[in-house]
Amino acid sequence: MAVVAGVDVGSLCTKTVILDGNGKILSYDIMRSGHYYKGAAEESIENALKSAGLKKGDISYTLGTGYGRGAVAEADAEVTEITCHARGAARLFPEVHTVIDIGGQDSKVIGIGDNGRVTNFVMNDKCAAGTGRFLEVMALALSVDIGEMGDLFFASKEKVDVSSMCTVFAESEVISLFARGHKKADIAAGIAHAIARRIMGMVGQVGLREKVVMSGGVAKNAGVVRAIEERIETSLLVPHEPQIVGAFGAAIIASERMSATIG
Amino acid sequence: MSTQYKINKLDTSGVGPLVDRHWRELREAKEKGMKIAWCAGPMFVYAYATPNIASHFMAGYAAYCGGRGMADEVLEAAERYGELRDTCSYHRLHTGMAAMIMNDWPVSNPQVLLPMPDLLIGGRFCTEMSHYMEAIHRRFGVKAVTIEIPSARSREDLPRLEKFLTNQVKETLIPAIEEVSGSKFDEENMRSILRPWKETCIIRNKCWEFFKKKPSPWTLWDYGVSIAPVFYAMGKPESLEYYNNLLKQLEERTEKNIPAVHPDGEKYRLYWDGWLPWSFLGKFIRMMIPYGAIPIAGRYPWEFFPHPEDINTEADDIIHEWIRLIYTSPNTLSYHDGPWGGQEHIEDLIQTYSIDGMLFFSSKTCRMWNLGQQEIIANIEKKYGIPGIVIDGDMIDSTMVSEDQIRTRIEALLETIDARRR
Repeated sequence: MAVVAGVDVGSLCTKTVILDGNGKILSYDIMRSGHYYKGAAEESIENALKSAGLKKGDISYTLGTGYGRGAVAEADAEVTEITCHARGAARLFPEVHTVIDIGGQDSKVIGIGDNGRVTNFVMNDKCAAGTGRFLEVMALALSVDIGEMGDLFFASKEKVDVSSMCTVFAESEVISLFARGHKKADIAAGIAHAIARRIMGMVGQVGLREKVVMSGGVAKNAGVVRAIEERIETSLLVPHEPQIVGAFGAAIIASERMSATIG
Repeated sequence: MSTQYKINKLDTSGVGPLVDRHWRELREAKEKGMKIAWCAGPMFVYAYATPNIASHFMAGYAAYCGGRGMADEVLEAAERYGELRDTCSYHRLHTGMAAMIMNDWPVSNPQVLLPMPDLLIGGRFCTEMSHYMEAIHRRFGVKAVTIEIPSARSREDLPRLEKFLTNQVKETLIPAIEEVSGSKFDEENMRSILRPWKETCIIRNKCWEFFKKKPSPWTLWDYGVSIAPVFYAMGKPESLEYYNNLLKQLEERTEKNIPAVHPDGEKYRLYWDGWLPWSFLGKFIRMMIPYGAIPIAGRYPWEFFPHPEDINTEADDIIHEWIRLIYTSPNTLSYHDGPWGGQEHIEDLIQTYSIDGMLFFSSKTCRMWNLGQQEIIANIEKKYGIPGIVIDGDMIDSTMVSEDQIRTRIEALLETIDARRR
């Protein structure tokens, strides 16, 4: 069976997953998308190929997804990240019925039927609140590395509310909270809860059905994961590498299409 | 996406000249010394039937500015004047236009300017509508009359509400129109407008029936553009002529099996809910057509204005007869706008027009119509297994429309439909 690639070009990061003919992950790559999506897609594919010890000609089918899916020059087809995240999550956790994906510029909640297909979904509206970008801006305001944000959550001792849903207003709110003497960890926890509240509203619209998988870069923030779990009163399943779920789903679809072509 | 789908638009070129003539006549009316009424909601008909006063239909102006790509400049003028960006974009458009006129601000296309009104008539469906009339009244000193048109929560409410609205029209609105115009409201004139208008709308309904055809010979966008003659040439022979031509085109297409989507018709029949995105009709259809998707039917044509095809033009009380269209007539506008009527209506449209998926347009500046969208989608999905999504945007404000986000949602909906078909 043929080797295939899924390429997820997101607003912040580009991810590539290469699958062998048996659907096993041979390699993957995650890199910043930067300002030139076409170049990012090419570089990410090259990185993943290098890790797998393969060359371009070894890939039989490439499927692009993500906001920059149109920029994947190698792509044989494009599918939205909604379908791809659903497929990736359902392969990793066959019992999944809800996917929460928080990416760089959007967040989405996807309902999945018993057959692993999308039943319904909602996306955040035209605003970056509660997304990876939101978290990046907040990390900057807290003067911490984004990777530290999750740990800070667990060091929190006092409840602090970050009520603004607008990224810019939330940033000013964080500065005011500092001015009022609140601790970094408490503010970081407040930010995680603000994201969780927004996600809870989206889960409410789709309808919560267990099991719930969380994907996307923000799933690496254990504080946000915990805050969401508290809000929706359900444990979240987080893949080992949550950021590649969309690219993985794209690769699965690529594999199916390749099989259909051969078959 | 192996099939190369292309739109096969109907010939709606007759609309443009009628629209231009309408606005030209409004400008000329002012020059001749007639009074001008700006009207929001379905109560415009009483001004239209009164001598010495010309009517401007505010939603029509928004569609006009949106369709001609003139809205952004006027909306910007409203902001310059101090209007909040979150308020109804139709309201902002009128504030912007009035501010441009009153302040003599430069305008790139003079066609965007209309005569300042002598009377504002608000048929209030939402709280914002009456407030925006009041705001224009306060800012520009124009007399305003706002009439309450409550939605019915149940069919039992309808007669009571009909009486309430009739009293408002007779006791408040018509006296105000008579005072401003200096003329008596003319019942016979109203009948003479309604007779041909009714005939036009009956033809229009025959056209609407063509949405049942598979493949469909036209799209909801074709229908949307064709709304204009009904309002811009109200009760005039040109309007009837336009619809007769449209009907002929649809019959010919059906007979020759010419679909709205080349080469062999639509792959996805989509229901459209909410306002039509006047400034972005082309943008939206271009996101759907590559996949063979088109909007087929929607609530919009049955949601915001009454249907004179049901009117008894010879009724003793013609004033009340128009109001009956909003409440107790078969196409009861008010019940369809209510909490249960809306969903029942959507269910009916979905079944009648063989819908595959639903697009609910959530206008950023008209929140009232967005309430309950997700709930209705969930209810219908559960009952009929038809998926739906909400897309955010605005009817005319380009700063509130994000093309990539909308494209992703539409494509994901089509993928969801595909997954169900397998």
